[in-house]
Amino acid sequence: MERHEYDVVVIGAGGAGLRAAIEARQQGKRTAIICKSLFGKAHTVMAEGGAAAAMGNVNSDDNWMVHFRDTMRGGKFLNNWRMAELHAKEAPDRVWELEAWGALFDRTKDGKISQRNFGGHEYPRLAHVGDRTGLEMIRTLQQRVVALQQEDFAVHGDYEAYIKVFAECTVTRLLKDDGAISGAFAYWRETGKFIVFDAPAVVLATGGIGKSYVVTSNSWEYTGDGHALALLAGAQLINMEFIQFHPTGMVWPPSVRGILVTESVRGDGGVLRNSLGERFMFNYVPDVFKDKYATSEEEGDRWYTDQANNRRPPELLPRDEVARAINAEVKAGRGSPQGGVFLDVSSRLPAAEIIKRLPSMHHQFKELADVDITKEPMQVGPTCHYIMGGVEVDADTGAASVPGLFAAGEVSGGMHGSNRLGGNSLSDLLVFGRRAGAGASQYVDGLTRRPAVTGVEEAMAEAVAPLERGGGENPYELHHELQRTMNELVGIIRKAGEVGDALDVVEKLKERAHNTASTGGKIYNPGWHLALDLRNMLLVSECVAKAALIREESRGGHTRDDYPGMSPDWRRKLLVCSAPPDGSEVTVVEKEQPSMRDDLITLFDRGELSKYVTEDELAEYDAALAAKKRES
Amino acid sequence: MILRVSRYRPGVDAEPVFQDYEVPDRDDWAILDALNHIKDTVDGTLSFRWSCRMGICGSCGMTVNGEPKLTCGTFLTDFTGPVTVEPLRGFAVIRDLVVDIDPFLANLSKVTPWLVREGEEPASEFAQTPEQLEAYKQYSMCINCMLCYSACPVYVLNPDFLGPAAIALAQRYNLDSRDMGDRFDVLSSEEGVWGCTFVGECTSACPKHVDPAEAIQRYKLTAALRSVLPFSRRRS
Repeated sequence: MERHEYDVVVIGAGGAGLRAAIEARQQGKRTAIICKSLFGKAHTVMAEGGAAAAMGNVNSDDNWMVHFRDTMRGGKFLNNWRMAELHAKEAPDRVWELEAWGALFDRTKDGKISQRNFGGHEYPRLAHVGDRTGLEMIRTLQQRVVALQQEDFAVHGDYEAYIKVFAECTVTRLLKDDGAISGAFAYWRETGKFIVFDAPAVVLATGGIGKSYVVTSNSWEYTGDGHALALLAGAQLINMEFIQFHPTGMVWPPSVRGILVTESVRGDGGVLRNSLGERFMFNYVPDVFKDKYATSEEEGDRWYTDQANNRRPPELLPRDEVARAINAEVKAGRGSPQGGVFLDVSSRLPAAEIIKRLPSMHHQFKELADVDITKEPMQVGPTCHYIMGGVEVDADTGAASVPGLFAAGEVSGGMHGSNRLGGNSLSDLLVFGRRAGAGASQYVDGLTRRPAVTGVEEAMAEAVAPLERGGGENPYELHHELQRTMNELVGIIRKAGEVGDALDVVEKLKERAHNTASTGGKIYNPGWHLALDLRNMLLVSECVAKAALIREESRGGHTRDDYPGMSPDWRRKLLVCSAPPDGSEVTVVEKEQPSMRDDLITLFDRGELSKYVTEDELAEYDAALAAKKRES
Repeated sequence: MILRVSRYRPGVDAEPVFQDYEVPDRDDWAILDALNHIKDTVDGTLSFRWSCRMGICGSCGMTVNGEPKLTCGTFLTDFTGPVTVEPLRGFAVIRDLVVDIDPFLANLSKVTPWLVREGEEPASEFAQTPEQLEAYKQYSMCINCMLCYSACPVYVLNPDFLGPAAIALAQRYNLDSRDMGDRFDVLSSEEGVWGCTFVGECTSACPKHVDPAEAIQRYKLTAALRSVLPFSRRRS
């Protein structure tokens, strides 16, 4: 069997994985990057809007503290505050570093990196290039890897001496030795041959779980692999009940339903209207945001040119609010003909400006829906986009509870709390990708011996099982049933009974998944690949549904029809998922969030905090504020 | 609608063979939707690459009725009779519609596709005006879909040709005001811009309007001037 030894194995080659690998290589570690699809085609490439970083290039009032506050608000204060702090502080450096490696960004007139408005961000904050920022980011990181390989060739005579990419290679198990990570077991998609990585540290950067849903902006790769690998290796997942339904996915034609329409459309002036022509978002500003958003169309429109004296339009509320509002309008019978609402930029900007600022959107609607967005409105509706939940990690190092296991990006949990702000993902990838790469490197430096690879036989038996069963369930049918179930019963609006029904279905599907059969051999066989991915999707769906059933409140990406309010008591609680190595049953326990550090909590005013936190926490805040005043 | 799909199973088929599939003739389906329909409901072993469905990842390039196309953006309604779907030409076939992309990636790596700088780095960002950005932005739109290589009559005959996307990528950095690099040696060779016979198929095939043919022509001029005036600076 093919076998390789590395210091650090990074699983996933999107923004987080590549940044982690670059960091590990720069710290002298022999690093492998394993990715399921082609190198340079990861989901990051689809990101449109930009990377949020408080550089203050467009509005000099911006700084990390404002960004931190926006992030915590967007996540409804459930965020891991240390992650939100590190993210806000380090994002500008990561953007500048990316530029030094060759990334291009749209510029201000005086030659600085331009920044655009986005939902939930107080100031223009997103570094971007048109509406294809993710493509530029992944290309730059990809080429940085190539540059490092050429440096290594010059010194060692081998391009792959320190960093090697294993593309179209899927990991099915993490391997352990006495409780610590010792490697990973994978198969080549092309040949079906197995491959063992012998490595003391693994960084998970596998992204999300969207393929458990029918309507999603995610592609086939997003089957929750990293989430499941971590669970099965003994790590914990947090916040799994929080799923972001991006408010604006395409609703028509059906074949592209769910594909993303960037939030930049709204950031650049686009508005949402219902079938009556009303800008309905003014009716959906929740109490916690009442004083931060415009109350009239006139004020909202003035904000685009004068942010000092006006409040932002409610189309730029955080994504969870907008998605719920669209959902409610459609349910009330005020939807568009094709079951969404109208997103109009044609009446707001000159055609030339739309094409310049939103070239990909213009192209996408023209090509896919035969709609000219410079002349008519788009029809849009919510689509499963991002999971806030993921591997519970140490904020500073990305370390999971299993020694040697690290996670960064969408597969990690905590940074975004119950709802992620647009633009905070690309910056998250860079900030925590780098930190996880550094964390893994330091961990390896501290080891006294290399752990031994064990469990290869079991991993191989599990992987070949679907090929060896003659006549069993079709994995595609199981997958479609799971997608329908999650979409209908654990979607944007949840009820105890429905989530319970979904859990019953998932339970039955788990049994049936033990009996899937794939014909056609091991060579590039997508049916077999799906049979293996099903284990991960089912496990992750079980986490989502179980946590969604337990959390009896509505917050961010988790809305309970039977518990519509947000509860300060629930704010302090994280739901932590774990599972045995065979994945037979997910267990969920409650865990208390640590209190925010005094210097961070006092960045908020009392009136705002009182909407989120308990009386006890407010007393802590008062004490912290008094101490701060005494010091100054 | 009949989709005539090229199948190749290494070890089973001596060479690629066509297999016909009946697919619903839906006017909102792209070729990619029809392929996924076959994979999900008819034959789970049909192999092809795809990802984003929105023309940005560049994974789903195939030869559709003889032309290199992104299958996510090519619709059934564009055709009347049977549609043939084959792997991208100019690349070795691994299985069915999946081709070997390593030679393509190797070519991209040859042109030093990053900012080459000397001296002190700025503490934050480089100064670059919108006009300076405009000078090279078009060449940065490339999604590495390889359609231009598949369309290029030179590359298909001579795999050593650097090729359209790699040359456009080199120009993306050559024309970047922040870059101080020199890519003359790799570009101004028989395998570089001088290999191009200016057929222009690359530009016609490009789904992102990168216009690699123009990039190649422009560099031919730059290279010619440098050969005549060997001491002239690149951006003089």
